[in-house]
Amino acid sequence: MKNVIEVKNLIKEYKEIKAVDNLSFEVHEGEILGLLGPNGSGKTTTINCLLSLLNYSSGSIKIFGKEMKPDSYDIKSKIGVVFQEVAVFDELTVYENVDYFCGLYIDNKETRKKYIEDAINLVGLESFKNFYPKKLSGGLLRRLNIACGIAHKPKLIFLDEPTVAVDPQSRNNILDGIKKLRDNGATIVYTTHYMEEVEILCDRVIILDKGKILATGTTDELKELAKIEEKISIEINDLDINYIDKIKELKNVDYVKYSSNILVVTYKKGKNNLVEIMEYLKKNNIKYNKIYSERPTLNDVFLELTGKELRD
Amino acid sequence: MTVFKTFLKILNKNKFIIILYTLFLIFFGGFNMQTSEHNTNFVASKPDIMIVNYDEEKGITKDLIKYIEENSNVVDLKNNEDAINDALFYRDVNYVVYIPKNYNKDFMDGKNPEIEIKSTGDYQSSFAEMLLSRYIKVANIYQKSINSEEELISKINETLSKKSEVEITSKLDTNILSKATFYYNFANYSIMACLIYVICLILASFKDIKIQKRTIISSTNYKTLNRKILLSNSLFSIILWMIYVVLSFILVGDIMFSIHGIFYLINSFVFTICATTIALFIGNIVSNKNTISGIVNVIALGSSFLCGAFVPMEWLPDGVIKIAHILPSYYYISNNEVLKTLELINLNTIKPILLNIIIVLSFSIMFIILTNIVSKRKQKIG
Repeated sequence: MKNVIEVKNLIKEYKEIKAVDNLSFEVHEGEILGLLGPNGSGKTTTINCLLSLLNYSSGSIKIFGKEMKPDSYDIKSKIGVVFQEVAVFDELTVYENVDYFCGLYIDNKETRKKYIEDAINLVGLESFKNFYPKKLSGGLLRRLNIACGIAHKPKLIFLDEPTVAVDPQSRNNILDGIKKLRDNGATIVYTTHYMEEVEILCDRVIILDKGKILATGTTDELKELAKIEEKISIEINDLDINYIDKIKELKNVDYVKYSSNILVVTYKKGKNNLVEIMEYLKKNNIKYNKIYSERPTLNDVFLELTGKELRD
Repeated sequence: MTVFKTFLKILNKNKFIIILYTLFLIFFGGFNMQTSEHNTNFVASKPDIMIVNYDEEKGITKDLIKYIEENSNVVDLKNNEDAINDALFYRDVNYVVYIPKNYNKDFMDGKNPEIEIKSTGDYQSSFAEMLLSRYIKVANIYQKSINSEEELISKINETLSKKSEVEITSKLDTNILSKATFYYNFANYSIMACLIYVICLILASFKDIKIQKRTIISSTNYKTLNRKILLSNSLFSIILWMIYVVLSFILVGDIMFSIHGIFYLINSFVFTICATTIALFIGNIVSNKNTISGIVNVIALGSSFLCGAFVPMEWLPDGVIKIAHILPSYYYISNNEVLKTLELINLNTIKPILLNIIIVLSFSIMFIILTNIVSKRKQKIG
């Protein structure tokens, strides 16, 4: 498989702090690579180094087989970036904004016109072409931000948390758009805090913390890293604390936690765990409202690898 | 072209600022010009003189009265000191001449008799005194060598009747030039405020850190893009200058087609260059659009007040003028003031103007260097 990005032993230091610590990874052509990590894990620094927005201390970065430098305009012409912050002109309409940023790559007026229309359609802003950014909601603004970053039809796209603080409708629209970009042949590097997005979108995931890669693989491969097999959540009002210790002693139980009227029981392995816990509750006359069983999520993997929640 | 088109769109969004400062220039600059017009109107007048004669009306006394009557408006009032004082107080009369008893005889005897006067002390009374002194001085000179009363009067009248021909060789219309100076002095404020305001707002948009990041990662060379923005700003400055020049041709008139007019244009063009560099410098250090209004007030309004754009320089205290020397506006306005009274235009007379232009250009170079330093420091993200 052809590599679009090849990063070898990348190190970025700020005085004595290593923001990026000896990173090596590849991004394959046509895939969506998820870059996961808590705040300060080095995701944005890595992307800034890849884009030559930052000088790095050592290592090498190759994009499309060539070394990436600040003046690598031939490489840059094939890259699109959607930053976390919305970067548009308040004085320009939706159409004019996309036109300006597309114009930084595409000189031909006719081609540009077509590309702008495509980008606006992709993010579903057809009805808002003549709107100024101040008149757009947060979700629509994010869509405009994406349209500005991808209008020139780049082969490699960096999306840095593009769905932060957007409404569900806009999020679905954005995710559909990203899938379409991938289907059209683009390679995508995607950073997000939302596990469900990673599970839906990403072909491969890199988990970062403190500038280091903790794990790499497909979502299924990563889930196998989790020590737990099953997680059962039960909604119980005012559970007597003595029962918690007794539940811990049940077969295959790894961990028990009770807070906000939710009892969470995790199992390392075993079958019929749900039946067993329900029987225990019935036997002890403990009334419950809802009960559900889950397979481990990426968040559990993340918790296990880093010791903290992804949104910490 | 994309950059220029975007520049124009942002400019269009801020067009009310340009209109506002242009209206300021038309109304306030125009108002100043009207004021200057009233200051230079002259009306011919004669002083009002009252003659109180205690002598017999003959000889020198008679001739003196005749001379005063010919050169002033003789006021006939009741010979009463209270009435005379009231008339002086209410400016019904400017000057009262008391010719003493035996004035004619004493004068012919060479005793140089004193003439008492009363005056309002205003410029009309000064003119009356000048008339009286002139007569007495001429009479005294001839009295020393001529004994005959008739011959003396004849000589005095002959001398006083002589008139000098005065030809005004200057064709300089200071009134019109004052109008041009008022206009271009006020233009100091409009040019500076408009350029700083608009250029800073445009740069704040282009140089917004988020947009700058997106621009740097694009396939457009960042330096080329910066040059395009600079070129667009320069073009805007030149167009603004041209609008203000056209306005000056309309408001000031024909004088703008003279050599003086050309110097006003050159001077204002050089100042426009300087104001553009100041605007670019500020635009590179200020990114918050909300602070721009305050900065415009401090810099444009402040330098206009300190350097005499609104009030004539000669009215400003020395301390203020000293401070004004550190501002480019001072040298621009100084040139306008020099042009107002410049009779002959040759290499010698325009030296101070050229020197001021060089100083304004030096300010421009300094601001270009400072802008480059600031821009390079801000170029690297993170």
